[in-house]
Amino acid sequence: MLTAVKNQVRACVLSVKYNIMREMLNKVTFLTNILFMMLNNATFIIQWVILLRLRDDVGGYTMREVMLLWGLAASSFGLARILFARVFSLPDLIINGKLDSYLVQPKNVLLSVMTSETNTSAIGDLLYGLLLICIFCFRVERFLLFLLFTVTGAVILTAFALLMGSLSFWFVRAEILGNHMVGSIVSFDTYPDGIFKGVARFLLYNVLPVGMMIYHPVHIMMEFDAAKMLRVFGYLFVLSAVAVFVFYRGLRRYSSSSLMAARM
Amino acid sequence: MRKYVVIYRSVLMENLQYTANIAMGFISYFIIIFVFINLWEYMYAAPGDLIAGYTKEQMIWYVMITEMIWFGARSSTIRQQVSADIRGGNIAYLVNKPYRYPLYILAKFTGEWNIQLPMYAVLTAVIGVMMVGVIPNFHPVTILAVVPCIILGVTIHAVFKICISMLSFWIEDSNPFQWLYDKLILVVGTIFPVEIFPTALQPVLKLTPIYTVCYGPAKLIVDFSVEKYVEILLAQALYLAVGCGIMFWIYERGGRKLYVNGG
Repeated sequence: MLTAVKNQVRACVLSVKYNIMREMLNKVTFLTNILFMMLNNATFIIQWVILLRLRDDVGGYTMREVMLLWGLAASSFGLARILFARVFSLPDLIINGKLDSYLVQPKNVLLSVMTSETNTSAIGDLLYGLLLICIFCFRVERFLLFLLFTVTGAVILTAFALLMGSLSFWFVRAEILGNHMVGSIVSFDTYPDGIFKGVARFLLYNVLPVGMMIYHPVHIMMEFDAAKMLRVFGYLFVLSAVAVFVFYRGLRRYSSSSLMAARM
Repeated sequence: MRKYVVIYRSVLMENLQYTANIAMGFISYFIIIFVFINLWEYMYAAPGDLIAGYTKEQMIWYVMITEMIWFGARSSTIRQQVSADIRGGNIAYLVNKPYRYPLYILAKFTGEWNIQLPMYAVLTAVIGVMMVGVIPNFHPVTILAVVPCIILGVTIHAVFKICISMLSFWIEDSNPFQWLYDKLILVVGTIFPVEIFPTALQPVLKLTPIYTVCYGPAKLIVDFSVEKYVEILLAQALYLAVGCGIMFWIYERGGRKLYVNGG
């Protein structure tokens, strides 16, 4: 059992490693993608400098908290897209019958699919997040929590994308809705939760995973709260279990398009 | 000219078949507008406050209109197709056709946004009236006057996007430059009117595409004045002329590079 798990983990690590090596074939493009993504993210600092010139805080967040929020959002998103980028294009594999090459491999189907692609620019997102916390609000214990929440955030985002993507097993146009739902996380998670009230706030904490992925972790990093931490982990396990269950239920409905494909 | 009209018409007819897909994009638009409505509701502590000369309603409408232009002018043709044609070598076949490639792309793009933008305009009007209320001192005739500004703004945007995509003649992936241009427009242009920036920065911002693509049309709708209208139209005409010059220059230079590499 343990050997099987070790082998599976090794296969996943190798898969990601070869993805990155493939991307590195053109070193200039590889580095440009990373550096420009960091620059791209940094442009949003202008937005917050201007907003915080107008008021001392936005939704209870000062520049320090906003940068922490941004850093965590960027690094979680980055890590998810470095390790599990294929989950975000899962509907394409399902609709076009491209899962065949994963089904015939003697390894876990879901993990093989998830780790079969790496997004180069996501490395820039991850580095940008780490840079922000080091510059704006570094403390050793906060940094360790940041690393932990980067992982939980990446897993929650991946699980949510997997859940949304798996709907394509049942509904043809589900990928459009799924893409918008996943995209909406990016729209919400870079703004303080204090600006949202009522139903919107309820949805962010209970339907969209933004609250558990970003808002609670930011609150915990500012002021440690064990109950909130337990809630984040509970949510992570439940969401992941549901996403995996839905994927495998959906996989029973999958039909091949007899497309000749090989995994290189 | 006729061939471009034919291209435009065929793309327009094709896009009419996909209005349901375009409508699905309304979800993202609504979410972003919802975020900004919440943000500006928070920023305006008391009703009647003014920020950079804008009331809360004007500020929210400004963001809604700039986002409407942004979403309505979203197109894979000017961003991905040009780049993919160049990287994949397909450009070698397209340059032999009896049209100028950049104008062919512009005609295609026009066929796309002519369906998208009016749909987003209707949605903007509905959301705006329902969630924010009518624009203070707004006169419906303003819309007719501003339509040429919107058309010019979207075309300028496309010309610059095509210029950036054509950098693929020299570098393999022009996407990173697209991100920076997009963020310049999005972060600086769509979220804030120029007046909100420090006074020293405002003349610099007026020299960027932000002024002609987003600020001009949105400013005229929320706060119309004839002097501003003339100023923005002149700036757009100048910008379009310079932008087209750069676009054809890059295309000619890139074409030579293509010849050297054999496509």
